[in-house]
Amino acid sequence: MLDLCLLAVIDEEPAYGYEMTKRLRERGLAFVGEGSIYPLLGRLERDGLVDTRRAASNGGPPRKYYQPSGAGRLALALGVSEWRAARDAVDAVLAPVTVEVAT
Amino acid sequence: MSDFVEQCRREWKRLGVSDPLADEMAADLASDLNEAEADGVSVEELLGRTAFDPASFAATWATERGVIPPPRSPQPRSFFRRPLTLGAVAVLVFVVLSFVALFGTVLITRAAPPTLAFRRATAPSLRLLPGAGQPLPGQPLVVHAHTSVNAVPLLLFFLVLGIIAIVITWLWTARTRSRAPSAPV
Repeated sequence: MLDLCLLAVIDEEPAYGYEMTKRLRERGLAFVGEGSIYPLLGRLERDGLVDTRRAASNGGPPRKYYQPSGAGRLALALGVSEWRAARDAVDAVLAPVTVEVAT
Repeated sequence: MSDFVEQCRREWKRLGVSDPLADEMAADLASDLNEAEADGVSVEELLGRTAFDPASFAATWATERGVIPPPRSPQPRSFFRRPLTLGAVAVLVFVVLSFVALFGTVLITRAAPPTLAFRRATAPSLRLLPGAGQPLPGQPLVVHAHTSVNAVPLLLFFLVLGIIAIVITWLWTARTRSRAPSAPV
């Protein structure tokens, strides 16, 4: 699921590793650090789902920027579709649930 | 933080990651860690549990990126995949086939019927026995066939067959060996 999130944030705008982490944290995904994004980025690169280029960052050293390749955008579209279907199915089960817990 | 990067670099070197690639990954990691530190984010927050195990972090990253082959558990080689066994089996088959050919030829020679009956003498190779006289028209011609089957061509045939089997086995073994996975770069 995290690889889908990574593809989503770099589809908005190309980003380097730490920048992706910041974008995900801003949206509440603070668990990123538990698994580290670097192996995931490596896998996405190996599978041809991202294109990379090296460019200067804002006042810092040159960074490696990632953006989805054609295959990556297709994978993102399919993944989002599957996620929404799964989310709707779970919602259909959990939405009507009302539980009263005595404290 | 630089210590963490240095330990990663050492692990990549140990794993056989090429120097330019290791430099690139180390530079990217160092830049990210420095920026995180400037933002007040610790290595643990950025890398999670792997922050305490740089060797594991480096190996996982390199493996996922495909710059080193994934670790493989040693698998026992099957009986017929051992080159020495294959060679021994090929030689054994050759010897058995040679003996079968030799004794088979002897048996065929001894078991052949001593006489053959023909209605007409059509084959020029037939040889009348002394004193048999001229055959009368319409009567069968009785001749003694000398069934001397020569064993040499048959043995040569099986010899060639054995050599071909050994060569094919050797080529197949060499091909199997050359299929060892190599690390993509």
